Amino acid sequence: MSAGLRGGASIVGVGTAGLGEAPGFTAMDIQALAVRAALDDAGLALHEIDGLFCANMSHTFPALTTLEYLGLAPRWIDGTNVGGSSFLVHALSATMALQAGLCDVALICYGATQRTGAGRMVPAAEQPLYEVPHGPRYPMIAYALAAARHMADYGTTRAQLAEVAVAARRWAALNPDAFERAPLTVEEVLASRMVMEPLTLRDCCLLTDGAGAVILTRPDRARDTAKPGIHLLGGGAASFNRAVSEMPDLTATAAVESGRAAYAMAGLGPADMDLLQLYDAFTINVILFLEDLGFCKKGEGGAFAEAARIGPGGGLPVNTNGGGLSFCHPGMYGIFTLIEATRQLRGEAGERQVAGADTALCHGNGGTLSHQATVILGTDAAL
Amino acid sequence: MTAPPDDPAVALGPDAAFAANVRDGRLWLQHCTACGAYIFYPRVLCPRCGATDLTWLPASGRGTIHSRAVLHRRQTPGSDRPPQHAIVLIDLEEGPRLMSRLPGIAPEDIRIGAPVRARIEIAEAGPVILFDRAETAA
Repeated sequence: MSAGLRGGASIVGVGTAGLGEAPGFTAMDIQALAVRAALDDAGLALHEIDGLFCANMSHTFPALTTLEYLGLAPRWIDGTNVGGSSFLVHALSATMALQAGLCDVALICYGATQRTGAGRMVPAAEQPLYEVPHGPRYPMIAYALAAARHMADYGTTRAQLAEVAVAARRWAALNPDAFERAPLTVEEVLASRMVMEPLTLRDCCLLTDGAGAVILTRPDRARDTAKPGIHLLGGGAASFNRAVSEMPDLTATAAVESGRAAYAMAGLGPADMDLLQLYDAFTINVILFLEDLGFCKKGEGGAFAEAARIGPGGGLPVNTNGGGLSFCHPGMYGIFTLIEATRQLRGEAGERQVAGADTALCHGNGGTLSHQATVILGTDAAL
Repeated sequence: MTAPPDDPAVALGPDAAFAANVRDGRLWLQHCTACGAYIFYPRVLCPRCGATDLTWLPASGRGTIHSRAVLHRRQTPGSDRPPQHAIVLIDLEEGPRLMSRLPGIAPEDIRIGAPVRARIEIAEAGPVILFDRAETAA
């Protein structure tokens, strides 16, 4: 795997807006507010952006609508949409575009108002032809099937799944921006309404509004921005299937491949990661990704979570913002992994700050366990 | 677009050909004459080896429950929908996996690894492949 992109781009600005509920605002409104916040964070002007990377579930041409709203005329656009992992792919493709000189200031952005707008999780418009007649509910059917198989193969328990939700809530309690901050116990997760067995309501991510923006430049340019750049050290993406019924192994995701590529590019391994941001659309995701990204053996993710290794005060900080389970989840969460990792690596994370963090692994999941993308970020010390 | 087939008997796209078989009571799968793979869902080329020389062969109908999930519906007054809706993935004996249901088995009795047998049900929206509990192989 090429190490050529290692250190090829730096995140110089991040912003969020409309987290939780943004009544009266459109997805494009809150996305623009997030972009404005990221520009202010970076100390850059709007029209310095000349590369645009975006995806969403609400617009047929997200990049075109976005550039029009913002008044941009980007030299380079990438609208790759592989689900909630798209933004981690964008981080990698933005690095390529910056290195190739196709753009100098790259913006990755996303916004959605599924809570106050649609009032429900909006699944993809087109679903697998041979699954639909059986009445699955997307996207959760895929995660429930994966969880059930993981439980059958490895003895993973619903209580272990619940530990993931509890750890996320404990982190969220430290994050003033998180949507759900009230204390949560394993017993409460287990007793919450069964939605798609074996997953209860509290095994499922939130449904919120929210927008995020990330600005990247080449590292030489990052020296002139308002805050020190957070560097892309590695990245990788992989996919074997769209439909869950086509997934080769329900208990092993393509994160094995995306992680391997990211580690190879970074020249780092799991033991070198100071914190993780894993797309937790459902509690089973975190267990699968801890295993597939090499933090424990296959089948041991449940026990790993149960030992409270991933919550505040544990050995391995995971989803320090509270994740999709307790922070926010507007439908495509991936961009928030990059934003939280950047804030942690800058030392701006307040009460939830992980002391002395120099490396962070961000992992995005797209579709119904369909696409996996991993990005490793680091401070100057990790370059 | 795929090249039009020479044989008028197979002048249907793969989805339509599969559906026509099912309507006539046949669960047939595509079989790749080049690599021997059975293929589902229907396609114009073999996703294992890329060959386009595919034939339709009868499936045994035997399979195994690979995983299960049960949707728990919130009950609304006047609704006659059952409160639980079980969905399964079935591994067919020939290799392919598909999503289906086991209407004859209570959701709590559906066991991963249990043997099942396919049947065709003509539903309002069209024929579907469903499964029943199979006698455990002796």
